[in-house]
Amino acid sequence: MIEFRHMQKAFGPSVVLKDINATVNEGDCIAVIGPSGAGKSTLLRCLNLLDPPTGGQIIVDGQDITAPGCDVSKIRQKMGMVFQSYNLFGHMTVIENIMYAPVKLLGLSRQEAYDRGVELLQRVGLADRTLRYPDSLSGGQKQRVAIARTLAMDPEIILLDEPTSALDPTMVGEVEAVIEDLARSGKTMMIVTHEMSLAERVSNRVFYMDEGIIYEEGPTAKIFKNPEKESTRRFFRQMRVLEFHIDSQNFDFVGANSEIDQYCFKNHISPRMANRISSVIEELCVQMLLPALKNPRIDVCVEYSKTEDHTYVTVKYPDDLRPEDCGDEISYKLLSANAESIDHTYDESDGSTVSISIVND
Amino acid sequence: MLKQSYANGLRSLSIILITLILLTAVSAVFVSAASGAKEAPVPKYKSLEELRGKRIGMQVGTVFDEFLKESIPDVKIEYFNTFPDEINALKAHKIDGVATLDIVINQLLQEDDSLAVVDGTIGAVPLGFVYPKNEKGRLLADQMSEFLTNMKESGELDRLTEVWNGSDESAKIIPDYISFPAENGTLTFVTEGSFPPFDYVRDGEIVGYDVDIAVRFCKEYGYGIKVTDMNFDALMPAIQSGKCDFGASGIAITEERKEKVYFSEPDYYQPAVVAVLADSEASGSFISSIRDSFNRTFIKEHRYRLFIKGIYTTLVITVLSILFGTLLGFIMYLWCRKGGRLADTVTRFCVWLVQGMPGIVLLMLLYYVIFGKSNISGMWVAVIGFTMIFAASFYGMLLSGVKAVDQGQTEASYALGLSDTQTFFGIILPQAARHFMPAYKAEIVSLIKATAVVGYIAVQDLTKMGDIVRSRTYEAFFPLIAVAVIYFILAGLLKAITSRATKYVDPEKRSEAKILKGIKTK
Repeated sequence: MIEFRHMQKAFGPSVVLKDINATVNEGDCIAVIGPSGAGKSTLLRCLNLLDPPTGGQIIVDGQDITAPGCDVSKIRQKMGMVFQSYNLFGHMTVIENIMYAPVKLLGLSRQEAYDRGVELLQRVGLADRTLRYPDSLSGGQKQRVAIARTLAMDPEIILLDEPTSALDPTMVGEVEAVIEDLARSGKTMMIVTHEMSLAERVSNRVFYMDEGIIYEEGPTAKIFKNPEKESTRRFFRQMRVLEFHIDSQNFDFVGANSEIDQYCFKNHISPRMANRISSVIEELCVQMLLPALKNPRIDVCVEYSKTEDHTYVTVKYPDDLRPEDCGDEISYKLLSANAESIDHTYDESDGSTVSISIVND
Repeated sequence: MLKQSYANGLRSLSIILITLILLTAVSAVFVSAASGAKEAPVPKYKSLEELRGKRIGMQVGTVFDEFLKESIPDVKIEYFNTFPDEINALKAHKIDGVATLDIVINQLLQEDDSLAVVDGTIGAVPLGFVYPKNEKGRLLADQMSEFLTNMKESGELDRLTEVWNGSDESAKIIPDYISFPAENGTLTFVTEGSFPPFDYVRDGEIVGYDVDIAVRFCKEYGYGIKVTDMNFDALMPAIQSGKCDFGASGIAITEERKEKVYFSEPDYYQPAVVAVLADSEASGSFISSIRDSFNRTFIKEHRYRLFIKGIYTTLVITVLSILFGTLLGFIMYLWCRKGGRLADTVTRFCVWLVQGMPGIVLLMLLYYVIFGKSNISGMWVAVIGFTMIFAASFYGMLLSGVKAVDQGQTEASYALGLSDTQTFFGIILPQAARHFMPAYKAEIVSLIKATAVVGYIAVQDLTKMGDIVRSRTYEAFFPLIAVAVIYFILAGLLKAITSRATKYVDPEKRSEAKILKGIKTK
């Protein structure tokens, strides 16, 4: 039904979407997820030409909609869009918001448009608000009206751009219910969302976007339970990563410590845990590895998983050297005190990898 | 409910305001009328010597400053735009004397004995008719010189001087020039109608010594004549530009002016004197003085007709400028929406040009330079000028109003498949209107006030009519207050009409029945 072929989108010099290749089939409900700034919203906006792609093609029902001279209005009528900020027309009542486009574009009579509008409002549970102005509605009600407005044009696919992220948490439920109802009815949808539970409930496929491409895609269950790629895995575990590189004896450990403090503060890691992280890095890298390695090239990676509330420190260096063989027993004892587990692996190409799971208390 | 009480509050506020203004008017009349005397007036200063170091007023564009500097030591000169302004300043003790022509002050003294003339003249002023420096001007100036010489020889000129200098208005008759056959074409004669006895408005018509001679000249030489009234400092430009064929308003002949225009031979030398307040205090009944002021301002010579004509002119200029300006501003905006860079640059340049200069300068440029050679009337030039001014403001309002509408509205409309035009007119403009409507209303009020300068391009609007009446009554306050009150009423009226119209189109003020027009609800 919809096919992206090497689609690109750049705003001036900054390339947001590098190379998008994907297919959306009739009846699909696709959750587009990924970190902020990955280009998820841009993908939807490219699809309905609010932000026309700067390269590649989008094929909708066999027609290349990026080709010059195609009827933009007709294409957009096929794709309803629901915005994060609702964008209801402020000078119109709820029912007029719904009636306006069908009367202008589909040639419906005002009576037909009204009847259909009331029907849709009943479906989203707002039939008693027909003559209210958007200003007098709550956020959740506004978004439900916006969905009804989109449905009034009877589009082939509905694009939802973070439909619940501007909402008060108490109102998320009412909007999600409407979206779930839509998904059950078999409507083709693409939904950009940060609500993982919503994505898991409504979608049959997931596009995980990162770095300007669709990084991984697949059936919802597989992506959520068993993603293939590291970045996807980190995303689902909601990991936050801090990396630094040690390449000389004069490493600025004070600077690194303050970075760790900031990182912990931002991610709401307890100060006790922050102390353990600093201590582990100091003992292992500065006290044990730096004196022992002839050619110090140490990569340190701190990963914090919010869902597990657990921190992992991974240290890599080229030499085949186990931490306990460094010859500094006091440091090793201190390290062990802060670590739940210390694993060392070595292979020819990657060198040594020490994985430490920090004690959580 | 809240809105209603707000409107009521506004209404009572405006009633209080108008009452205040009327009270001020009444007290002002009382003050100015308190100095009406019955005995023969005695000047406060007996000789020119006593005026040493005093403030003497004179009209801009006259030659009295040289005379004053020679005849009064250490004199401080203050400049005024019109003769009535000077007289009012004198009565209000803002200045100590007014330098003017003997014949002018004589007219005034016949009606007003609160003033007197200081003994001794300060000089003699040669007066003449003025012509543009072109071939036609040369010819007309020569013909006029010839005419004046003949009149002088026959004694006719002295007779005319006597008549216009006298107090008998019924003897001051100008031949009916409307019916002139005009076999040699029609001439435009320009003057400033607030300078009796040279030029003034009587029964809504411009008459006076200058007008009399000009009309007699045209009759003799087979011309038709059209008499135009204009502010004094706009006279010379109007003649220089050839907009008018000739002019006079007690204009003195100077070497400097001779470089720019042709003069006829002087019709006469006029002695110049200094008028001061009379040295007497007298009283009149308060009520009768108000009645007198009212009579002089509105009833005498049917002067209320002048006000009605002025109101009509002001309203026509304002309303047409609002309509055309709104249309033009809107067209400019639409052009810029579609036209890209060129349209943007052109429009921004025009707006910059129009808004960068005072309205009066724009009007004079239009009148004397751009339409200098065409026959278009001052009123239409005023409409064009204020249309440009209003269009520039309205363009700005549209720009900021549309900008104030959230970008999401456009996106939502596009996403539904609505076209650019449908989006602009159906979604954006109605919401932008809410933002710019208050500014629009304010602009209407400031426009009606801004039109007060059209007197400079020979248009007799409300302000100009007030000036004309003041030039006859020598009362600042009553005509000025009357004019102010009328402006308040006109502005209020226009504002009320706009508010009505706004309410009518405001989407949120619609009734349920209107929203659901043609729809059966179950």
